[in-house]
Amino acid sequence: MGENGSMEAEMHELHSLDSESPEALYAFLAEREWGDGLPVVAPTEARVEAMLGGNAGLGPDEVLAVLPPRGGAATRRAVAVNAVMAGCPPQVFPVVATAVRALGEQRLNLRGVNATTHPVAPLVIVHGDAVADLGFNAEVGAFGPGNRANATVGRAVRLVLLHVAGARPGPGDAATQGQPSKYAYCTAENQAASPWEPYHHSVGVDAPSAVTVHCGENPHNFHDMESDDIGRILDKAASAMATFGVNNACISGGEWFVGLCPEHAATADRAGWGRDDVASYLFAHARRPAREFRRQFDLLAWAPWMNDAADDELLPMTEEVGNIRVFVTGGAGKHSCVIPSWGMTRSVTLPLEP
Amino acid sequence: MTILIQDPAGPLAVGGVQLAPAVPALVSGKIGVLDNGKPNARLLLTKAAEGLATRIGGEVASVIGKSDRSGKSGRGAPGNNAATACESQVLEGLSKEVRIVLTGSAD
Repeated sequence: MGENGSMEAEMHELHSLDSESPEALYAFLAEREWGDGLPVVAPTEARVEAMLGGNAGLGPDEVLAVLPPRGGAATRRAVAVNAVMAGCPPQVFPVVATAVRALGEQRLNLRGVNATTHPVAPLVIVHGDAVADLGFNAEVGAFGPGNRANATVGRAVRLVLLHVAGARPGPGDAATQGQPSKYAYCTAENQAASPWEPYHHSVGVDAPSAVTVHCGENPHNFHDMESDDIGRILDKAASAMATFGVNNACISGGEWFVGLCPEHAATADRAGWGRDDVASYLFAHARRPAREFRRQFDLLAWAPWMNDAADDELLPMTEEVGNIRVFVTGGAGKHSCVIPSWGMTRSVTLPLEP
Repeated sequence: MTILIQDPAGPLAVGGVQLAPAVPALVSGKIGVLDNGKPNARLLLTKAAEGLATRIGGEVASVIGKSDRSGKSGRGAPGNNAATACESQVLEGLSKEVRIVLTGSAD
């Protein structure tokens, strides 16, 4: 790397194709074991330059992150190539770039994320002004499908993992079964319908817009269509959390993301509950007796205080309330979700780059 | 029409990694076991190490987890989880104590 953290000047490799037809591109990618199995947009120089154009003044060779297991340098250009392939409109490129920076943070533990047999996928959550300004969908169907920004940003992050990180199923990504969110996993916070401050402000990121990356499972839905009692609603969330099938059960440091729909959030607000109250309730109610955990697992990566618990003591599904992270997403209706963690990873929230 | 497309993998951040030279011959010597934190890894690796020791006339001198020298964690604790890296002091200690280390990856 150069003195300013960028790679020494290297020519970015070009490949010649006889045709831009989908068939020719498919064959080219298949030959190199590239791609996610879906059609891609050809990353021609003009398209890549257009993608980079939104980041005037930021060098294309700047390394945003070094991504294991391949040890690929996620230069701004390499990320832009994948954003083109994913179909991103150029205005969302800063979101992809910020998400890639987050993937490079040590606390996220991308090496483990890609090496594990767990199906973990990085979830990208967009916060703040960028949601409306860049065309993200935080309302009905926020997890997809149907919105270009959500779909292509999630897909671009996956393509960066496949190509730059080398996370091919098998040699680079050991997930036993994988999961659908490994194709694309991006949503947005519905701040307009949230009774609380923006999520990124709650974690100390004081910026107009931000991006969070949380490495976890697909969303686990819970619904309550009839309650005006927020406790009764959150009891469903707690029951979805208190399961032994998730890594949070045996790794107490794992986080939970709780995506409340606007109507459930409004019920909490009417009861005078803040985001922290929701998290506290789930910490108190998503519990199982220590005996049951011990019956289920020989290996428990628990906080020491949990190891000391008596068999009858009810233990939480994470070691501290701060690991339960609440945001509002989605539109009309009374479906919310909890998103378990892979476990040995921490979410990262960064200000959106210019 | 011929088109040029850019490479999606991009450059590597570091040069190629050189493997350590192979041990010339497995004749005697101390053998270590580095438990990778997966269920039954310690049992399986230790049995393999004992078998190897019998064949080459060596001994199993150390069986250790990835954070066993930190003094703050035990079997199954986060530092010994398969998803975390081995503490450098464990690797340094093993390199001084034994000639061969058996470890594993994945399940």
